[in-house]
Amino acid sequence: MASLATAYLTGFGSYLPGPPVGNDEIASRLGGTDAVTERIRRRILEQNGIRQRHYALDADGEPTELNEELAVNALRAALDDRGIDAVDLRMLACATTMGDVLVPGFASMVHGRLGGGPMQTLSASGVCASSLAALDAAVSKVRLGDHPRAAVVGSELPSRSLRERRYEGIRAGMDAHFLRWMLSDGAGAVIVEFQPHPTRLSLRVDWVRQVSLAHEHPVCMRAGMSGAEAEAGGTWQDCAMGEADAAGMFLLRQDVSMLDELAEAGIAQFEELVDTGLVDVRHLDHVICHYSTNVFRDVAFEALRRRIPSLDTDRWFSNLETRGNTGSASIFIALEEAWRTRDFAPGETILLAVPESGRFSFAFAHLTVVAPQASAPPASSLPSSSSSSAPSSTTSASSGARA
Amino acid sequence: MTLADSSIDSTTDSNAADIPASLFERLAGVWATLEERLDRVPILQRLADGTVTLHDYQRLLFNLRQQVIDGSPWIARAASNFDVEHFELRSAAIRHAEEEHRDHLMLERDYVAVGGSLAELRAGRKNLGSEALSGYLFHYADRPNPAGLLGAMFIIEGLGARRAAEWAARFQEVLGLADNQVHFMIYHQEADGQHTGDMEGILTSGLIDATTADEIVRCAEVVARLYALQLEELDN
Repeated sequence: MASLATAYLTGFGSYLPGPPVGNDEIASRLGGTDAVTERIRRRILEQNGIRQRHYALDADGEPTELNEELAVNALRAALDDRGIDAVDLRMLACATTMGDVLVPGFASMVHGRLGGGPMQTLSASGVCASSLAALDAAVSKVRLGDHPRAAVVGSELPSRSLRERRYEGIRAGMDAHFLRWMLSDGAGAVIVEFQPHPTRLSLRVDWVRQVSLAHEHPVCMRAGMSGAEAEAGGTWQDCAMGEADAAGMFLLRQDVSMLDELAEAGIAQFEELVDTGLVDVRHLDHVICHYSTNVFRDVAFEALRRRIPSLDTDRWFSNLETRGNTGSASIFIALEEAWRTRDFAPGETILLAVPESGRFSFAFAHLTVVAPQASAPPASSLPSSSSSSAPSSTTSASSGARA
Repeated sequence: MTLADSSIDSTTDSNAADIPASLFERLAGVWATLEERLDRVPILQRLADGTVTLHDYQRLLFNLRQQVIDGSPWIARAASNFDVEHFELRSAAIRHAEEEHRDHLMLERDYVAVGGSLAELRAGRKNLGSEALSGYLFHYADRPNPAGLLGAMFIIEGLGARRAAEWAARFQEVLGLADNQVHFMIYHQEADGQHTGDMEGILTSGLIDATTADEIVRCAEVVARLYALQLEELDN
């Protein structure tokens, strides 16, 4: 009988570079003041509902920080929140869509800047759901007892590649404009430990689940390829840089016609969580959902309310409108703000939901609020309450009910 | 079956020699006294009560480690002091020393896995009880043919075989620890169970005369007291 430890989120941090940038100030940072671009921008902003965001760009649109710096700032905030130092970490799992450099891996660069001691690193690449893939890895290692403490960070700095200079002279349709006015910069981090916080509430990680449906969906969001299908000789690495640039391979594109399908698939994944018992709708107290636009907020909220009639807007948290869409960072930025500003009571549960359009993946995590000092079970209740057999590789479910 | 458990069978076994049978009874008595004493050791009381903390577990590992690193050396020293007339005991001691000489590495990994610093652990010193226990064992091992040390092994291996896994399970239950964080204590249930089985063979082999039996019992009494002292004097 193998026994596992339990993983708790004990520290939360986020970092948003510079002052908030309102909708009227975007063009001064990213450019795109011509009439056509302006019209597209206004339409997209009206749809997505984002009122302000942050860019690691100065007033002239020049970069002020690296992505790895955003990550480290969020990590420091999370470490401070927990009251520990980088030297206390044994693992660092980093999620980002694109690091600052092609080589080495993003986590190596973040660790180098963060400092601390020797630690395991993981660079989870992908798009938005890489956040929870990184969390799953850290949680799994903590539950195995391999590491007492890990940090997870999601960070993004897309703004530099959304500036006008990247679009000049390139035929860019709606697929390239959509994300340009959608994405912004930021980082969010959590500390994962095998014991709850000694004096404050913690979040026990009950399970993390990530599933890809790429087997039945084409690419929805892309960069670095000439068309929607990858083929030998047709990626940015196969041709001269100028050629790749001229072909628009370096623009981040989204096939917006697939987004309704993405929403449907995400709702089906949620339904499956309910149908398989991973989510008990009678005991689901809070939902923190990442979405790129308020259009999906309403779709997702209504879908959840079909299964959870008691779900009201008080239990639904998103800071998309004020923090922007920060990709893999967004779920941690939202969790940090919810945790800091909302009231949570021991025993309450939180569902994190992160749909990823890239090629249709979906990640969820189920958390339970626990009090600082769990009272010990009586000696007669052997065997260990923290023991459970490991479920499937993409799901780590804890039965260690020590709240 | 462990040595102490086997005492009843041994006394009723008409084929067993008188001396080993009574030796088992006497060792069982020493064991019973040790159990009573362990019940009063503060950290073990907290473990039983469910009030033990992660800090307690870390301190226990920290304190044990400083003595565990001496385990293989004192057995090896004893092995070197058995003459050829005691070849069986020498062989057993050599085997046993070899089997134990990496044990502290397992303990060190557990300590790190619950958040401890390897550098601090390795820089640690023995507590008062560990000093006394280790000093006594090395001193005893220096004697010619130190067969009395079978009494020490009876206690130390007995704790590993009979108590460590129970402690491990309780630490896991109270603190929510993974198997990877209690390797040392879990491992000793199997390894020391084997060792106590080996020792039963020696004690019943006819190698043990009445004088040696007295030495074994006395050594067991001293080691039992000093081992408990080691657990009582954590960090002192």
